[in-house]
Amino acid sequence: MRPRRAGATAAAVSVVLALGACAPQAPDGAEGRDPEADGGTLRIATTTDVVNFNPLIGNSRSDSWVTGLMYPRLLSIGDDGSKEPELALDWGYSDETTGWYEIRDDMTWSDGRPLTADDVAWTMNAVKRDAPSGTFTGQMTNFESAEAVSGTRVEIALTQPDSSVVEEIGFWGTIVPRHVFEPEGSVADFANGGDGDGWVGAGPFVLTQVRAGQSYTLERHEDYPLVAAGRAAAARVVYRVYPDINTELLALRSGEVDVIANSLPPAQVARLGDTDGVEVAEVTGLGYSHMTYDMDHPDLARTEVRRALAHAVDYDAIRDVVLQGQGDSTLSSPLMPVLSDYHDDSGAEYEHDPELSRELMESAGYDAGPGGRFPVSFRMIYPLQDPVTSQWAQLVQDGAAEAGITIELQGTERNTYLAQTQEGDYDIYAGNFAIMDDPMTNFALSYLPGGAINYTHVDDPELTALIERAARTFDEEAKIALMQQAAELVQAEVYDNVLYTQNLYVAHSSGWTGFVPKPSELLSVVNPVSIASAHRVPERS
Amino acid sequence: MSIALFVARRLGRGVVTILFAVTVTFLLLRLLPGDPALAVASPNTTDEAREALLVQYGLDRPLIVQYVLYLGQLLQGDLGTSFTQSVPVVDVLLERLPWTLLLTVTALVLTVLIGIPLGVLAASREHTFLDRAVQVVGVTGQSLFVPSIGILLLLVFGLGLGWFPIGGAAGDNVYGAAWYGSVVAHLVLPAVSLTLIQLGSYVLTMRGTLIDALGADHVTLARANGLPYRRILWKHALRNALLPATTLIGLQLGFVVGGAVLTETVFAYPGIGRGIYEAVTQLDFPVLQGAFLLLAVTVVVVNMLTDIAYGFLDPRVKAS
Amino acid sequence: MTTPLPTTELAHDAEEPVRDARGARPGRATWRAFRKLPLGVASLVVLALLVLVTVAAPLLAPYPASFGPDVLLPPGAGHPFGTDSLGRDVLSQVVWGTQQSVLVAVAASAIAIVVGTLVAVVGAYVPRIDAVVSMVVDLTLSLPVLPLMILVAALAGPSTSTVILVVAAFSWPEVTRLVRSQALTVVKLPYVDAARLMTRRHAWIIGRHVVPAVTPVIVVSVVVTASRAVLSAAGLAFLGLGDPTTWSWGRILYEAQTSGAMGSAWWLTLFPSLAILLLVLSATLVSISYDDARKPRGAGR
Repeated sequence: MRPRRAGATAAAVSVVLALGACAPQAPDGAEGRDPEADGGTLRIATTTDVVNFNPLIGNSRSDSWVTGLMYPRLLSIGDDGSKEPELALDWGYSDETTGWYEIRDDMTWSDGRPLTADDVAWTMNAVKRDAPSGTFTGQMTNFESAEAVSGTRVEIALTQPDSSVVEEIGFWGTIVPRHVFEPEGSVADFANGGDGDGWVGAGPFVLTQVRAGQSYTLERHEDYPLVAAGRAAAARVVYRVYPDINTELLALRSGEVDVIANSLPPAQVARLGDTDGVEVAEVTGLGYSHMTYDMDHPDLARTEVRRALAHAVDYDAIRDVVLQGQGDSTLSSPLMPVLSDYHDDSGAEYEHDPELSRELMESAGYDAGPGGRFPVSFRMIYPLQDPVTSQWAQLVQDGAAEAGITIELQGTERNTYLAQTQEGDYDIYAGNFAIMDDPMTNFALSYLPGGAINYTHVDDPELTALIERAARTFDEEAKIALMQQAAELVQAEVYDNVLYTQNLYVAHSSGWTGFVPKPSELLSVVNPVSIASAHRVPERS
Repeated sequence: MSIALFVARRLGRGVVTILFAVTVTFLLLRLLPGDPALAVASPNTTDEAREALLVQYGLDRPLIVQYVLYLGQLLQGDLGTSFTQSVPVVDVLLERLPWTLLLTVTALVLTVLIGIPLGVLAASREHTFLDRAVQVVGVTGQSLFVPSIGILLLLVFGLGLGWFPIGGAAGDNVYGAAWYGSVVAHLVLPAVSLTLIQLGSYVLTMRGTLIDALGADHVTLARANGLPYRRILWKHALRNALLPATTLIGLQLGFVVGGAVLTETVFAYPGIGRGIYEAVTQLDFPVLQGAFLLLAVTVVVVNMLTDIAYGFLDPRVKAS
Repeated sequence: MTTPLPTTELAHDAEEPVRDARGARPGRATWRAFRKLPLGVASLVVLALLVLVTVAAPLLAPYPASFGPDVLLPPGAGHPFGTDSLGRDVLSQVVWGTQQSVLVAVAASAIAIVVGTLVAVVGAYVPRIDAVVSMVVDLTLSLPVLPLMILVAALAGPSTSTVILVVAAFSWPEVTRLVRSQALTVVKLPYVDAARLMTRRHAWIIGRHVVPAVTPVIVVSVVVTASRAVLSAAGLAFLGLGDPTTWSWGRILYEAQTSGAMGSAWWLTLFPSLAILLLVLSATLVSISYDDARKPRGAGR
C-alpha cells in the first residue's frame, strides 16, 4: 500500500502547489479602494466569451460590449433609427464628396492625453489602409482619406458622392488612441491585449483585469463628460461569462449578477417580468427577420411563385406564438416602422391566404394533381443556433404544405450556414439582420446586383436605378420618396419577404436603475452612456 | 525485462498515440466542410478580404504542405496562433487546463473515495439485496443526463438554499487567501455533478473485478487455510482489484476530460472542454488542434504513470 | 510487456457451450435461470414496453403540432407532461421521440457491434492482425470522445445519419476490446485447434465455433453499446447537433435549453431524462441479469 499512498500524496501535493502558483494577487493600488463605498460594482452576464479587445476587428457582440465601454463612437442612434451625437457634436457634408465631423473638446484618454480630431482622422485612415476584418472596414468603400483640420474638426474625402457614408462611418466607427495603436503597426494585426501598461480608453470605464473565459473587470475612468455627473456612477463593471442561458438566468435570480446583456428568449420575458427582484427593460429592435427567394432558381424566378409562397405564411401565428407578441409587422416592407421618417403606413402585409397561393401557382401553370401537392420543392436554409428563426422556419414549412408547396428545411450550424449563404447554396434563405439602421446602405447591399447581402440574387434595372439615384440625392425628402418607391417595388415583386421586426427585452436586477436603453442588441442597456448612468437604488434606511 | 526497456517501449507507444490524435484532428478539420474565414467575417467583408484571411491562416496551401509545416512547428514547441484571439494557442490552453484538471481530479478522487467502499460492499455480499441495490444505483448513475443534473443542483443548492455560487470558477476581484476559499466554493457543485455521473461505472467495475479476485484460487486457498474473511477481503482481493481499476482510470481519463464539456458549459467552468466547444463554433483550427494534442498528451502521461504504478503494485509484473 | 486488460465481469473462463444437466441447450438453460431473477424480468418488461411505444407511437399520441396556444404549462389535465415554450405537448414529443432515440441507438450499436465483432474475431484468429487491431483499438480509445463527436457532427452537418455514424465510429473499439479478450481465449481452446486440423475453411471455423462462443459477450456488449449510444445521441442533440427535423429525447432537452426554460420549467427536463434513464437502466439490468443467469452460481462466497 505504501508506494500507492506515497504516489497519491505526491500527486495531491503537486496539484496544490500548482494551484498555489495560480492565486491572483490584487493589482497595485486596488487594496486601498473599496468600490462598494463609492458607487458599487455592476455585474453583467453574457453568454459568449470576450476574445478580442481590438474594436476594429471582428463582429462579436460580447467583444463590442466591452470595447464599447472603452472606445467611443462618433455617433449614437435614437429610437427612430436616426443618428445622435456622441463623440461628434455635429456632422454633415460640405460638398458632394466631402464630409465633416465636429467633435467634443472635453474628452480625454485614461492616460491623461486629450482625445482630438487627430485620433479620429488617424483611426479612419488606418482602417482604410489596413482593412481589418470587421464592420468598420465594410463602411469604407467610398472613403478615400480623412484629415484633422483643427483640434475638433475632421474632414473626410470621398471617391464618389455618397449621402449615407458620413453617418454610417460615424456610427460604426469606434475611435482608438493613435499614440497607443500607431506604434503597433497594422491595426488589423494588433491584438490590444493590454500587455505592459494595460489599456487606454476614453469611455466611462477602462479594462483592468482579464480572466479568460470567466470575467472581465473594468474600472471607472474619472473623466467622462457624456453624463451629467462627469463620471460614471458605478465604480466598477464586471462582465461574466455564462455559456448556458439557463445558468445565466439562475445567476440573475440569485443576485449574483445585476444585468443580463444578451436579449431574453421570448417565452421567458413575461415570467421574468413577474419575478421579484428582476426588472425587464424593452429595447427597440433595429433589425428584421426575413426570407429571400433565390431568383436564380427557375421556379423562384417567377413572380407568381414568390407571391404564392409569400401568401402561404401565417405571419400572425409567428408573431403571436414564436415571438410571444414581441415582434411587430413591418407591413412586409424593409422600411421598418421604427425608421419613422421612412416608414410608409399606407402599405399592407402579404395576407395569409393558402387558397390564394394555390390559385397563383395554378395561374403560373403548375398542376397540383390528385394529392394536392405542386411538383415543386424548395430547400430552405436557416441558422440552427438561432432558436427563434429555427422555430418559425417550421411554421413556414407547415404553412407552405397547406398551400400544396413543399419546403425542405435544412438547419445548419453557424459556419456552414454562413458558407451556404455566401455561395448561394439554397433555394430559400431565412435569417435576420440585427441592425439595419440606414435604409440607403441596406438597400444598396441587398438589392443591387452583386450587393454583399443580395441573397435573392435580384437584378432589376428599375430597382437599381431608383437606388442609385437615391444614393446621390442629398435632399432628405426626395431621398425618402425614392426609397419608398424602391420598397414598394421590392414588396410587389417579393424580392424580400420581411416577416417582423423584433423588440428585444433585457433583464436587470431591481437593485439597479438609471439605464438608458438604446436600439438594437449592440447598444441596448449596455451602451456606454447607459452603464455610466446606472446606479444602485438607494437603500431605504 | 529491464525497467529502461519497459519505459522506452511505453514512451514509444505514447508518441504514436499522440501523433495519431494530432493527425486525426488535423485531417478532420481540413476535410470536413467549414470555412474559418467566414466565421470571423461580417456580411460586408469582401471576397478579397476573405481570401487574404485564408492565406493568413495558411489554409490556402496543399494539405501535405500544411501537415508537414504543422509537425515542424510542433517539434519546435510552437502550437500556433489562435484564429479568433490572435494570441498563441499555448496561452489559450494554459489558461484553461488547470481548471479542467482541478475539476476532473477532484471528481476522480471523490469517485474513488465513495466508489471503493460501495464496490466492496456489493462484492462481499454478492447476490443479496444490498448488492442488487448498489448495482441499480450504479447503473442509474451511468444513465443520468449531465445537464439535467447540473441545472438541478444549481436550482436546489445555488438558487434555493443559496449555499453555493452559481457558475464560474472563482469570484472576481478576490485575492490572496480568500481566493482559495472562493475556488473551493465554486468547485463543489460541478465536482459533485461530475462525480455522480462517473460513480456508477466505477462502482460496477470495482464490484466486478473484486468478485473475480475473490473467486481466484489463492483466495480460496487462503480461506481453506482458515484466514478470516475480512482480512482476505481487504488484503488479497482488494489489492488485486485495485490494479485493473487503476488502469481503467487511465483509459477513462480521455473520456472524462473531454466529457467534462457538458459540465463545464452548464456550470460556466472555464476549462478545456468548454474551450473546445467554443473553438468548434468559431472554427478556430489551431486551438482545436492544440487542445486535442493536449488531451492526447494528458491521456498518454496518465496511462504511463498508471502502468508504472501497476508495475510497482503487481508482483507478477515486477518479478519478470 | 503489455498491461493486462482488466478482467471485467463480462469475460469469463470460456468453454465450449455445453448442454446442462437436463440436456437442454445452453440458451434454454440461461432463459430458465433468467426467469427466476425478478430484477431481470422486470427490466425486460420495461424494455418491451419501450419497444412497444416505438412501434405504436402513432396510436399513442398525435404527432407534436408546430405550436399551441398555451405556452410552458406545467403538467395537468389535457397535457400530462405539460407544454414547451411553443405550446407543444411534451407527452407527444416524448412518445414520438422514443422512435428516433431507439432507432439511432439500435442503428449505431448494430454497426458498432458488427464492425467491432468482426475485427475482434478476425484479429483473435490471425495473430498478426491482432497486434495491429489492439493498437488501433487502444489508440481510438484514448481519443477524447465527446469533443471529437462534437467536431465531426458540427462540421458534417446535423442529421440522423451523421449522428448514427459518429456514435458508431466511437463505439466499435469498446466492443472490440470486450469481444477480443474472450475471443483470444476461445481461439486457443482444443476444439478450435481440432477444427483447424480438419478444414482450411477459416470463415467456417470462425462462424461455426468462435462466434457462438463469444455470443454471450456480444449480447452483453450490445446492451452496453446501445445504452451508451442513447446517451451520446442525446448529448449531441442537446448540443444542437442532432437532427432538427425529427423529435428525439435529446431534442426536447435542446429546445428547453435554448429557450432558457430549464431553470423554471422542470417538466421539460424531467420527462425526457426519465425516458433516457428508463431505457438505459432497463437495458443494462437485463444484461446484468442475463450475465448472472448464464454463469453458474457458487463462485462468489
